[in-house]
Amino acid sequence: MNGLRRISEAELHAFVDGELAPPEHAEVAELLAASPVDQALARDIRELNEAIKARYGGLLADAAPGATETLLRRRLDGGWLARSWRQARPAAAAVLLLAVAAGGYASRGLLASRTGPETAFAATALGAHSVYVPEVRHPVEVRADEAHLVRWLAKRVGADLRAPALGGAGWKLMGGRLLPDQDGHPAAQFMYEDATGRRLTLYIRKETGLDNTAFRFFERDGFGAFYWIDRPLAYALTGRLSRDELMTLANTVYGQLDAQGAGAAPAGLAPRQ
Amino acid sequence: MISRGEAVAAEIPRLRRYARVLLGDDGEAEDLIQDTLERALARLPQWREGDNPRKWLFSILHNLHVDALRRKSRRPPHVGLESIGVDQSEPAADGASGRDLDQALRLLSVEQREVVLLVGLEGLSYAETAEVLDIPVGTVMSRLARGRDRLRALMDYGGGDRNGRAALRRVK
Repeated sequence: MNGLRRISEAELHAFVDGELAPPEHAEVAELLAASPVDQALARDIRELNEAIKARYGGLLADAAPGATETLLRRRLDGGWLARSWRQARPAAAAVLLLAVAAGGYASRGLLASRTGPETAFAATALGAHSVYVPEVRHPVEVRADEAHLVRWLAKRVGADLRAPALGGAGWKLMGGRLLPDQDGHPAAQFMYEDATGRRLTLYIRKETGLDNTAFRFFERDGFGAFYWIDRPLAYALTGRLSRDELMTLANTVYGQLDAQGAGAAPAGLAPRQ
Repeated sequence: MISRGEAVAAEIPRLRRYARVLLGDDGEAEDLIQDTLERALARLPQWREGDNPRKWLFSILHNLHVDALRRKSRRPPHVGLESIGVDQSEPAADGASGRDLDQALRLLSVEQREVVLLVGLEGLSYAETAEVLDIPVGTVMSRLARGRDRLRALMDYGGGDRNGRAALRRVK
């Protein structure tokens, strides 16, 4: 010791972390110059910080966004939430929040089961369903009686898509809307309603990455979705219906849409006439 | 003007990185992130424009983590950094293996690990760290000093002990 006061341990950490005001920083730097022991400790602290950054800093870059994040980002960046906050009345905002929360739970299940892009698609469809189905005044963007509904959505999605007729099963087409899918590409949502006011949505997006699949079922918080890929399109039929009822409807939808194409029925289903 | 939603979304990668290193388990980290985002969305109206979204979100994450630890009662938290996606063979800057750092961090108390990571990895100031953890700045500083001392000892850093005792040697 050479008569200078000793740097406190807390001071030394604060010095290394850049927490000291300039006069104090200068003072500690001066004291440090005279204390090899403290210099060694300061060096260790710096090395520790560097080692931590070197070891874990990269996790920022390579943390692949989970399905949850993708969904939330779409919702946030796409402005569903932001837009609604600016415009919605409190009650509408509350409904939307519930819907977003429901979507969030859907994606949580998705993560837990660590499934792939197909399930992400189903979860997105289910999220879109839960957001728009509670709407009373604006459930759809374009109503079914407007002739350009299907043409418009087909053009935006970039594929020859149809709105299946489910009147025979008691479901009336209300209309549709254009939405971002989980990758930010355009997707279409058709909404149907039955005589009791229950609602059903058919979510359609262009599918380029995945091959045809069998019908799959995805369920969360009372909502069910049957989804399948029939290239070039992926479909998800969603509603708060029993699995059997939804399955029958999915079968009908598939049959109608497939009547135009040559694809075989998804596995487990009898081909329809 | 950046929307609240965008401000929240921009912080997600940092939240996830912190949660992964703090918990040492990607699955648990995802659960924590999910819970944090849900609570943040629910509280978005309370968040004032101009508030620092990072501090706000880290604080939500911290509170949820504390709740989760409490629910787990007295069981020590499982921390196994081998299960997060870092390269197990990559040497750290000083030549020690990164795995040593993983193991050393695991041996810190959760409280120490929090401050060491918030300051050393996330670059929060002491004042921000104190707000996130809802503790006095003085507590941040003492936990930081204790946590770093322990890491230095565990990792065989050369600086030794300021009071003249030899640093603890890591048991191989």
